Amino acid sequence: MPIQLLPPEVADKIAAGEVVERPASVVKELVENAIDAGARQIRIEVREGGRRLIRVTDDGVGIPPDELPLAFARHATSKLRTLEDLQHIRTLGFRGEALASIAAVSHLTMMTCQVGSSSGSLIHLEGGAQVRRSEVGMPPGTVVTVAHLFYNVPARLKFLKAPATEAGHIHRVVMHYAMAFPEISFNLKLDERVVLQTSGNGSLYDVLLELLGAETCRQLLALPEDNSSFSSAQVSGYVSAPSLHHAQRDHIILFVNRRCVQDRLLSTAVVQAYYTLLPTGRYPVAVINVMVDPAEVDVNVHPAKSEVKFREPQEMFRVVQQAVRSTLLAKTTPFQITTHLEGNVSTPTSPAAEREWRELSHFGFEVQRTLSVDEETESPDTRLPMLRVLGQMALTYVIAEGPDGLYLIDQHAAHERVLFEEMKCQYAAAAVPTQQLLFPVLLELTPGQAAILEAERTTLSQLGFELEHFGSDTYRLHAVPEVLASSDPATALRDILADLAESGALLARRADERVMTTVCKRAAIKAGQSLSLREMQELVRRLEQCEAPCTCPHGRPTMLHLSAAQLAREFGRI
Amino acid sequence: MKISCLQENLARGLGIVGRAVASRSSLPVLSNVMLATDGGRLKLSATNLEIGISCWIGAKVSEEGAITVPARLLTEFVSSLPPEQIDLELSVRTQTLHLSCARFEANIKGIDAQEFPIVLTAEEGAPFVTVDPDELRQMIARVVFAAATDESRPILTGVLTAFEGDRLTMAAADGYRLSVEHITLEKAVPEKVEVIVPARALAELARISADQTEPIGIIITPARNQILFHLQDIDLVSQLIEGRFPDYRQIIPTSYTNRAILDVQSFLKATRVAHLFARDSANIVRLDINAGDELMPGRVTLMATSNQLGDNVGQLDATVDGEPIQIAFNAKYLIDVLSVISSAQVALDTISPSSPGVLRRPGDDRFVHVIMPMHLPR
Repeated sequence: MPIQLLPPEVADKIAAGEVVERPASVVKELVENAIDAGARQIRIEVREGGRRLIRVTDDGVGIPPDELPLAFARHATSKLRTLEDLQHIRTLGFRGEALASIAAVSHLTMMTCQVGSSSGSLIHLEGGAQVRRSEVGMPPGTVVTVAHLFYNVPARLKFLKAPATEAGHIHRVVMHYAMAFPEISFNLKLDERVVLQTSGNGSLYDVLLELLGAETCRQLLALPEDNSSFSSAQVSGYVSAPSLHHAQRDHIILFVNRRCVQDRLLSTAVVQAYYTLLPTGRYPVAVINVMVDPAEVDVNVHPAKSEVKFREPQEMFRVVQQAVRSTLLAKTTPFQITTHLEGNVSTPTSPAAEREWRELSHFGFEVQRTLSVDEETESPDTRLPMLRVLGQMALTYVIAEGPDGLYLIDQHAAHERVLFEEMKCQYAAAAVPTQQLLFPVLLELTPGQAAILEAERTTLSQLGFELEHFGSDTYRLHAVPEVLASSDPATALRDILADLAESGALLARRADERVMTTVCKRAAIKAGQSLSLREMQELVRRLEQCEAPCTCPHGRPTMLHLSAAQLAREFGRI
Repeated sequence: MKISCLQENLARGLGIVGRAVASRSSLPVLSNVMLATDGGRLKLSATNLEIGISCWIGAKVSEEGAITVPARLLTEFVSSLPPEQIDLELSVRTQTLHLSCARFEANIKGIDAQEFPIVLTAEEGAPFVTVDPDELRQMIARVVFAAATDESRPILTGVLTAFEGDRLTMAAADGYRLSVEHITLEKAVPEKVEVIVPARALAELARISADQTEPIGIIITPARNQILFHLQDIDLVSQLIEGRFPDYRQIIPTSYTNRAILDVQSFLKATRVAHLFARDSANIVRLDINAGDELMPGRVTLMATSNQLGDNVGQLDATVDGEPIQIAFNAKYLIDVLSVISSAQVALDTISPSSPGVLRRPGDDRFVHVIMPMHLPR
């Protein structure tokens, strides 16, 4: 085939594919237009997951009749004039491609009426070509109806998911805009059913209450309004208290200049702000908007604008992390469950406190958790009472009885805590026992691992890893900390380096404590290991000696407590 | 199959093969023991696919046959029978073994013998080497405990077994200690052979060879993947561990700066006492070794300290030659090795607090034990 210029309709369809990927992207573009038009109310109607119909109705400024045909030309926009304008975009859209792209792959009808104008105009396009144009009577605003989406792109049609899935995507998109623009009232109807409705009263909390539910919102903490002292960027929004967490990251919703973005950097910043407050592998809920000077951020990275580039990503990371972290540290103190318990393991006293208590824990048991936000909170009066070991469950939990009920102890977490405190003492006294290896182990590391090892080498050697540099990224290991002596030294060190890499660049903890945490994690007995009664007694005895026995060094609880009173209640004895 | 045998013979045979029965296996037939007639005798076999043990007992065979039955049930049933003649008869159709002894009768449901894995037994012909059972057993006892129990380093869970010239050497190490011993063979081997035998197999061999008097024949399969120990009426076969055993020879120090000769029993006792205190603090026991002078004999002081429990000091007289030295060991390792040394005295050779400590039998180079020291910065 000879090289030739593509006919315009082919080019249009190809270009449309970049912007219009699925019905949700149509909704996104139309809602953005409505917002840019200054709408106070936006109604979205979707049928069959958007395949059959998408209708977005707003009460914005409308389009003058003479500009209407031009609105559907490619690269036609009212939002941008010169190249300089691109530097400080304040509108959501700017590329002038959306309407053209959508029109190219659907039957599109637009009715628009300017404020103050007596009548509106209607334009109907099929596959990008104007079919009908007339005057209509209507209130000010714009109504865009997209029907038979992808009717002329069978490939795309085939790849659409089930209507329910597509509807889910649409719901998510609208939800994000509702969060970003609490002053606009959103109404989303899926197949004649109102699934989302916000009041538009300008309060983000009210929007979240509507979208996330009262249960979640009760555990949200507002970021301080004024944190401009940190930098030019303004961070606002809500984050969850450490008691609320999910297995997935997708509850972290981020906006940059009110534009919803998928940014790994910022979401990592949020997650790391929770370091030691959340169990590993659990993620918080966060709705955060970052306002920055438009010149500081490039939104023109991706046609769907879901990615942004910061001029100073490190600065953004720091600002977000600090805002979240300081909120958590400032506000979690009154939340501390230990306050209900007077810092020890007695049962909640007031019925109200107890109810709240029950809601906070997943099991309906009283969960003993100190937040261990900092060293300071590890108060010495959280020590355990004397416990009597009853047995082991599922090769993971030690069951013990105390003066006030039953304790379920996570053997791994508990051992981690015991080792950590013991090692901390030994480290402070510079007396960590080490065991020499019979055969020095040759470790060939990746450059990344070697860099971490070099960075932490002093701490590692003080903890008992006797390492000798053996050319490029190879090291020879001569001795290991005694706690690790029962495992394979090479694997142990590699695991520790991997853990360090994962938790890299973390704040709060001192570097040496971070290394100790990983060493102890590695050395601790694992779940699934059968323990004899004596071993369990020994573990519990050592745990009793600990200063903060209720959490492991990573912040997970080491034990659950089921009080005698609770048992009596559950069995209907009282 | 229809046979008769004596209760005590069957009970003894089942006790021998019983140790090879798989305790938890996904293959049900492995928790069974196979009974088969074999040239006028009854052959019992069990295997967990790592090791297999076969044992022959005298029996009156009236009808040939084979069956496998649950090992635990059969062993416990037979051992509770009176010491009289047991008649066994197999119903081939139902694969059920009928046992009768005195006034007891039982029917035990079995699994077809065809499903049982083949347990290798010695063929006719000369074995590769023969060794004295007592010597072999003692060597195993002094070496096998040093092997690793942790599966993360499979090689170290085995014992390096090397035949070279007229010498059989066994070496085991777990990364922190090394035990090596060699014995002299009656007949030199034609070629050097090195294999790694699972420590568990050797431990079982030591156990079942307890009342053997005849030399034990050792056969290595041509593919070098199994080793077979041929005892009187018993064959033990084991898989070999593949891989290269670390070169242990270069670890054994060739010199020393301090040699202390101690009485084994008092050394062991003092270490056990120290261990009571060391248990809480990483099992560390510190040895303070001082040469004596004209008035004082040489002295080894054992110290253990626990932050919570207190401390302990024990003193031992010793013949010490060399500069004074302080060195720390894991008490458990010391106890392990001192418990198996058969001589009255032991020599402890040291160089520096961070160099390996070596234990030997004075005047006997056949046994060497190396322990890596621990560090407790003060």
